[in-house]
Amino acid sequence: MSSREKILAAVKANQPEELPLPDVPDFTGDGSLEKFTTILEGIGGKVVPIRGVTHLDVVIQELFPTDERVASTLMASTVLVDALTPIEVLAAVDVAVLRGEFGVAENGTIWLPEANMLNRALPMITQHLVLVLNHEDIVPTMHQAYAKLGSVGDYGIFLAGPSKTADIEQSLVIGAHGARSLTVLLV
Amino acid sequence: MSHSQRSDIFLLDAERTTWHDETLWFVRQKRDKAVYALPEFQDLRELASQIKNHTLSKLDFYLTQFEEAAKRNGVQVHWAADAAEHNTIVLGLIKKHGATRVVKSKSMLTEECHLNPHLIKHGVEVIDTDLGERIIQMREEAPSHVVLPAIHLKKEDVGDTFHIHLGTAKGNNDPQQLTEAARQHLREKFLAGEVAISGVNFAIAETGSVVVCTNEGNADLGVNLAKVHIACMGMEKLIPRLSDLSVFTRVLTRSATGQPVTTYTSHFTKPAPGKEMHIVIVDNGRTKQLGRPDFRASLKCIRCGACMNTCPVYRRSGGHSYDFTIPGPIGAILSPNIDMRKHASLPFASTLCGSCTDVCPVKIDIHTQLYKWRQVLAEEGEIPASKKWSMRLLSSVLSRPGVYGLGGKVARQGLRFLPHGLTHAKGYNPWAIARELPEPPKQSFREWYNQQQKNS
Repeated sequence: MSSREKILAAVKANQPEELPLPDVPDFTGDGSLEKFTTILEGIGGKVVPIRGVTHLDVVIQELFPTDERVASTLMASTVLVDALTPIEVLAAVDVAVLRGEFGVAENGTIWLPEANMLNRALPMITQHLVLVLNHEDIVPTMHQAYAKLGSVGDYGIFLAGPSKTADIEQSLVIGAHGARSLTVLLV
Repeated sequence: MSHSQRSDIFLLDAERTTWHDETLWFVRQKRDKAVYALPEFQDLRELASQIKNHTLSKLDFYLTQFEEAAKRNGVQVHWAADAAEHNTIVLGLIKKHGATRVVKSKSMLTEECHLNPHLIKHGVEVIDTDLGERIIQMREEAPSHVVLPAIHLKKEDVGDTFHIHLGTAKGNNDPQQLTEAARQHLREKFLAGEVAISGVNFAIAETGSVVVCTNEGNADLGVNLAKVHIACMGMEKLIPRLSDLSVFTRVLTRSATGQPVTTYTSHFTKPAPGKEMHIVIVDNGRTKQLGRPDFRASLKCIRCGACMNTCPVYRRSGGHSYDFTIPGPIGAILSPNIDMRKHASLPFASTLCGSCTDVCPVKIDIHTQLYKWRQVLAEEGEIPASKKWSMRLLSSVLSRPGVYGLGGKVARQGLRFLPHGLTHAKGYNPWAIARELPEPPKQSFREWYNQQQKNS
C-alpha cells in the first residue's frame, strides 16, 4: 500500500462522525476610504490622492526623484518587464507601478492578481512598490473581498503595506526582503 | 531533562527572563487591542472552530478533493507518512533538478521533520529566509516560538551573530542596520535560489490552492525567483472553501501579533509557465492524534502563537525549555502524541489557568487537554517517581481522617520548633525554594469547629 492509501485509510478510520459545516455570514463593516487610509497608514503604507493616471510619470518623478529604473503597466517604463525577464534585470528595478484591484478597509490590504504584476517576482523584488487604486474600489472586510474575487486565479496576493519584520527584539523595521515602501495612489 | 529543569537554565538570567515575560505580554496586549476592535470576533472564533471541526470530520474527503484540484492545476502532489518520507521526497525533488541551492520560508513542519540537517547532509545548501529563522540558523539553534522564532535573543546577540557571519561591525546592535545587512545577504541567496521551499498556512480543498502568510515577503520572493516550488504541509491545514479563508485571515494575525493582517497573504494555485510546483502532504502522527477523541481538537491549531504569548509558564521559561518543535501550551498537548516518554513533563508545564483556551482563535480546549494528558501519563506510568509516590502518600493520608488530623497536628507543632533550614530545605521541599511557608495556626479548622460546637 502506498503512503497515500495508508494515510487516507487511517484518516477514514480515525476521523469522528461528520460535523456540520457552518455558513459564513456576510459580516460587514465600515468600508470607507477614510478607514482604509487610516489602517494602511497605520501599517506603514503611504496614501497619495492623484487626479488621474494621465500624468503618472510626473507623480512618480516627484515621489522618487532619484530612482531611474521604473517598471509599469500603467505608464512608460524605463525597464521592460514580462514573465520571462531575467533575474538580474528584475533585481535592478527601483520602482514598480502596478494597478491594485481593490482595497479592504478593515486591514488596509490590496488585491494584486498575477495579471497586474508583469512578473510574479516584481512586487517583491522592486525596491519600491506603487499601487494605483480606484478610490471607489474599497470593500469593508475580507468576507466581501473573497466574495468579490470568486477565484484567486493562478497566483495572487493580498498586500498590506511594505515588507516588514520585528524579528530583532520586537523592533519594527520596514523593508525586510520585499519592497521597502508601499505607496498607494488613489484615483 | 524535564521542562522545569530546562526552565532553571533559562531563569539563571533574571533580567532576560523579565524582558521575555514583558515582551510577550506586550504582544498579548496588542492582540487584545486588535481583537476588541472587532465586534464579531467571538463569532469568528466560533466559525473558525466549527469549520475546522467539520474539516477534520471529513478529512479523507477534503484531502482527496484538494489533491484532485491541485493536480488539475498542474501541481504535483506527494504523500509522506512520516518525517523520513517527507525528507526523502523533498531531497529527491531537489536532486531531480540537479539543484544545490535552496531557499526556504518559514515552515514549522520542516522543523518538525528536521529537513535542514537532512538536506545539508546530502550536499544541499538550505537557507532559511525569514529573518528570525536565519538568525537562529546561523546560531544553530531551534526556534523558540512559532511566530517569533528568535524571541529568546536580544539585539546584542543578533549583533554578535551578524558580526561573525555577515561581517557587520562589532558592537553594531541597531535593529534597522542589522535588518539591512540581512536584506543584502539574503538578496544574494534569493537571486541564486534554484528551489524554494515554503510552508502552508491554509490549503483550500475546492481550489487546490495553498495560502502562505508572511510579513517579510520572503516566501513570495523565494518561490517566484526559483524554478521549483515545494510547499510542505501537515494534513490538518485544509479548509473546505475559499470563503472560509475570510474567517481565518481575519483571526490569524490579530491573534498572533495584533496586526490586522499579515503584509503578504499569498495564494499559490498554479505554477508559472515553465516552472514546477509540488505539494507534500504529511501525516507524521497526525492520523494517530485524529484517532484520540480527547486530543484530536489540537489538530485545529493554525499556529498563531497566542497561547504562548499569554501563558505565564511559557513567558517565564522560554520556548527552548519545551524541547519540542512547537513550544508553549499547544506544544504541550501535541508533543506527547509524538513521544509520550520524552515529553512527559510538558503537560505539567502549566498552571491550568485556562488563558490559552481563552485566546485560542479556533477554540481548542488546550488547558482541558493538558489536564487529560496528565491522567494518561499517570496511567501509563510516565510521571516521575517522586510525583507518583508523593501522590500515593497524599491519597492515603487524605482518605484517612484520623491520620490527616494527626499529620496536621505534627506539622503545626513541627513548623514552630524545627529550624528554618530544615523545613525549607531545597532537597526535599522544592515548593519552598522561592516561597515562605505560612505561619502555622494554633489550631486546625476541625479543632476550632469542635470548640465552637462545645461553646454554643
